[in-house]
Amino acid sequence: MKRRTFVAAAASLPAVNILSGTARAQSKEIRMIESGGASGDSIEKGYIEPLFKKTGIKVVRENPSSLGKLRALVESGQTTTTLFELGSGIILQAKKLGLIEKVDWAAVNPAEMFPEAKNEYGFGYQYFSTIMAWRKGVKEPKSFAEFFDTKAFPGKRCLPDFPHYCLPFALQAAGVPIDKLFPLDVDLAFKKLNEIKKDVAVWWKAGAQPPQLMKDNEVQYSICWSGRVVGDPAFGLNFAGGKADLSFIAIVKGSSPENKAAAYKLFHEMSLPENQAKAAEVISYTGPSPNLDALLPKDKLWQFPTSKQNKAVQYFENAEWWADNGEAVNKKWEAFKLSL
Amino acid sequence: MRSSGFSFIAPLLVLMVFAFNLPILYMLGLAFWSKGQGFTLEHYEGLVEAPVYLRVLGNTMRIALIATLANVIIGYPLAHWMRGLQNRARLIAIALVVLPFWVSILVRTYAWIVVLGNGGLVNRALMWLGLTDAPVSFLYNELGVTIGMANVLLPFLVLPLFAAMIRIDDRLMQAAASLGAPPRTIFWKVYFPLTLPALAAGTLLVFILCLGFYVTPAILGGGRVPMISNLLDTLINQIPRWEQASAISTILLIVTLLIFAAYRRLDRKASA
Amino acid sequence: MSDIRLEGVTKRYGPVAAADDVDLSVAQGEFVTILGPSGSGKTTLLSLIAGLNRPTAGRIFIGGRDVTEATAQERNIGLVFQSYALFPHMTVLENVLFPLGVRKIGGAAARSQALEALKLVRLDGLEGRRPSQLSGGQQQRVALARAIVFKPDILLLDEPLGALDRKLREELQVELKQLQRTLGVTTLLVTHDQEEALSLSDRIMVLNHGKTQQVAAPAEAYLKPANRFVAEFLGIANFVGLDGGRTGLVRPERVRLGPGGVNGGRPARVIEAIYLGQMVRYHLAIEGSEGAPIVAAVPFVGRAWQAGESVAVSWDAADIWPVT
Repeated sequence: MKRRTFVAAAASLPAVNILSGTARAQSKEIRMIESGGASGDSIEKGYIEPLFKKTGIKVVRENPSSLGKLRALVESGQTTTTLFELGSGIILQAKKLGLIEKVDWAAVNPAEMFPEAKNEYGFGYQYFSTIMAWRKGVKEPKSFAEFFDTKAFPGKRCLPDFPHYCLPFALQAAGVPIDKLFPLDVDLAFKKLNEIKKDVAVWWKAGAQPPQLMKDNEVQYSICWSGRVVGDPAFGLNFAGGKADLSFIAIVKGSSPENKAAAYKLFHEMSLPENQAKAAEVISYTGPSPNLDALLPKDKLWQFPTSKQNKAVQYFENAEWWADNGEAVNKKWEAFKLSL
Repeated sequence: MRSSGFSFIAPLLVLMVFAFNLPILYMLGLAFWSKGQGFTLEHYEGLVEAPVYLRVLGNTMRIALIATLANVIIGYPLAHWMRGLQNRARLIAIALVVLPFWVSILVRTYAWIVVLGNGGLVNRALMWLGLTDAPVSFLYNELGVTIGMANVLLPFLVLPLFAAMIRIDDRLMQAAASLGAPPRTIFWKVYFPLTLPALAAGTLLVFILCLGFYVTPAILGGGRVPMISNLLDTLINQIPRWEQASAISTILLIVTLLIFAAYRRLDRKASA
Repeated sequence: MSDIRLEGVTKRYGPVAAADDVDLSVAQGEFVTILGPSGSGKTTLLSLIAGLNRPTAGRIFIGGRDVTEATAQERNIGLVFQSYALFPHMTVLENVLFPLGVRKIGGAAARSQALEALKLVRLDGLEGRRPSQLSGGQQQRVALARAIVFKPDILLLDEPLGALDRKLREELQVELKQLQRTLGVTTLLVTHDQEEALSLSDRIMVLNHGKTQQVAAPAEAYLKPANRFVAEFLGIANFVGLDGGRTGLVRPERVRLGPGGVNGGRPARVIEAIYLGQMVRYHLAIEGSEGAPIVAAVPFVGRAWQAGESVAVSWDAADIWPVT
């Protein structure tokens, strides 16, 4: 009863948006759960503020985001949160578990985007790279073969405590070229990791650890997220062989049409290169527009994951392979960790 | 009378059951459920077949035990020392023990890097004094995890212990002395047994908290000390195998309950 | 069994002397009570003798041996606290066995010795209980048994009956006295209760502000106090003026009453009459006197004076004790 009167009232308003041919109201406020930190601030400055100026729609942010949280949200039947940030591997899992909605790209009507960012189930909004970095003053490696060569490049290492980062880098050290990494030769990768493990002081869980540890001279070499080290004169870095990855924003299963409509408005703002340039002022990760390079400061192009010079030398995450093999690899990873 | 008391706390009980106990039961039940098949034990079978997760659990128990022991070795004398202080000094000591509670666990944990890291205060002092050539590895190993956990959990042991100790009448020790007991006998036969219930309760609390530790092992252990909570995080948030996580959690819960039951048995025996 | 001797024992806490140059000799087998108000230093003195504290100056001898520097463990003293200080985690028997275990006495010998001590304090049959399951009087008896089981050289009792109700206290006073006589152990008791002191002791020592006021047999201290403080502390004191501006003490029991107008007495008026069973206590205003009322305690034989009645008050000159 209430709902019918509401829809009728909405339909009679002249300012209703025309989306996919149907008249639909959109919410004035939606909630988003994102990963937090500078990344969240970049969403605020790059996308949420322009959206509010144009449409008056407010986006309320919360963090951090994790698959467990999403699953708990959906399984408890709550629909107050519309948008959820997920990694490229996780979005596939979320799709399989039925935790997220398909994106109506026609309703989004985006500006030009890299194809991998225009996912059926999410908006790939932020490219980030996992790369090698070091404390200034040590011998500088040019490839992961050199990074893993602890005799020629002595010093303590700090590696991610996640197999989906470490294995492809270890394979590069074993001589596998970046376009032949997948399917991963897991045994070869662990063999290489076993060779380096005594020189790894820390296996990091939090992205803030490697830069801090390098600053404190606890370690000299790290594999870490590019945004944590670029622009800091204390560190050297190299994108060669790095991992390009993409963070998505997806729509929580069961969201109301009104909330979805507002979310698509935000997605549209996120596709605009000028907004992505604003976001890149906050964090040195980049949005999915192929035309973004022109809007970024020339002297800083080397810092960004998607600038032409960097995108070419990195490999891309293969989320499908991980979805099929993740659990088996994780058991080997735990066994490997127990051998440290 | 009794029923009115019950109706007073009933809303709280309902909240506890629905907001707390049911989700836990649901979580534990997940391990026995498989999509399309109904009841199953396959997730437990999986644990037995690939015992690496059980080995992580065993490792966690061992570390928790070591950290708890370290806590007792530091905490017991500390609480005893605080008992002997004058009022003002005692207040300051309690504040110092409790202070870490007010600081984020992350900050506390990173503070240890500043103190004990390769370039930390202790190592620089040792090298300056010429006691060692290369930095001593205090961190990024089990020692680091033990130090970190002992620090974070110390108040949980010291406060109940201290509370029990100040309740012990000094005249009991004086009486023991007048009856001819040397200090060692007074401690082991009179003082220590009277602190034992609080010590056992505090130790149990610390041990159980150790089992669930997450941040400290990840940072001070340098990720080299696999703990069960990190594994559970991976199974819940990275590769979503909630069923497997649930099976491990169930085993963890059972082990914890068994330890608790053993403690209750000892406690009842002691007070019988 | 030993005697106790204190020579110039002094204990200072900063400027305050809790014990000030105290001398005392307690003969072997004697029962002496240290009596004083709270804060008089009596418990300090006891803890110095027990070895729980060290004196600032002076010497302490037990059985002729100088124990001034000896620890509590080395003194072989039975000590009973007002708070009982029983070990709550041990049974009654374990409590009593404790001093024997410390002395390396074990097995059946220790057990029979402990049971014997419990029998002496009439607690046989309760040896399996915990202190928390006993009444206050029973707990005090356990403390007593624990203090005598190892045949200490001396027994020190710190307000042992202070926490008990009146009836039980009187009952235990009798038992304590009998027990002390049976064992013949030199005993030093501390109390602020003058009745207890007078009824139990061979001699009493009155203490005030850490200083000895008097050491004497109970009757002597009561009737011939060394000073005004002792006179007042040990009971009701009537002070009367003497020749030469001096003051004399007359105890209420020594005051005689007769009908008003009878010769040989001073005329007085009854302000109040209090019945105490066998005795009646009168508060009397002497006519023409501005001083404090005179208190008389008279055996109750058939008739008592009423408030407002006129009486004649008198006392023998021999019953007046001059005080300073």
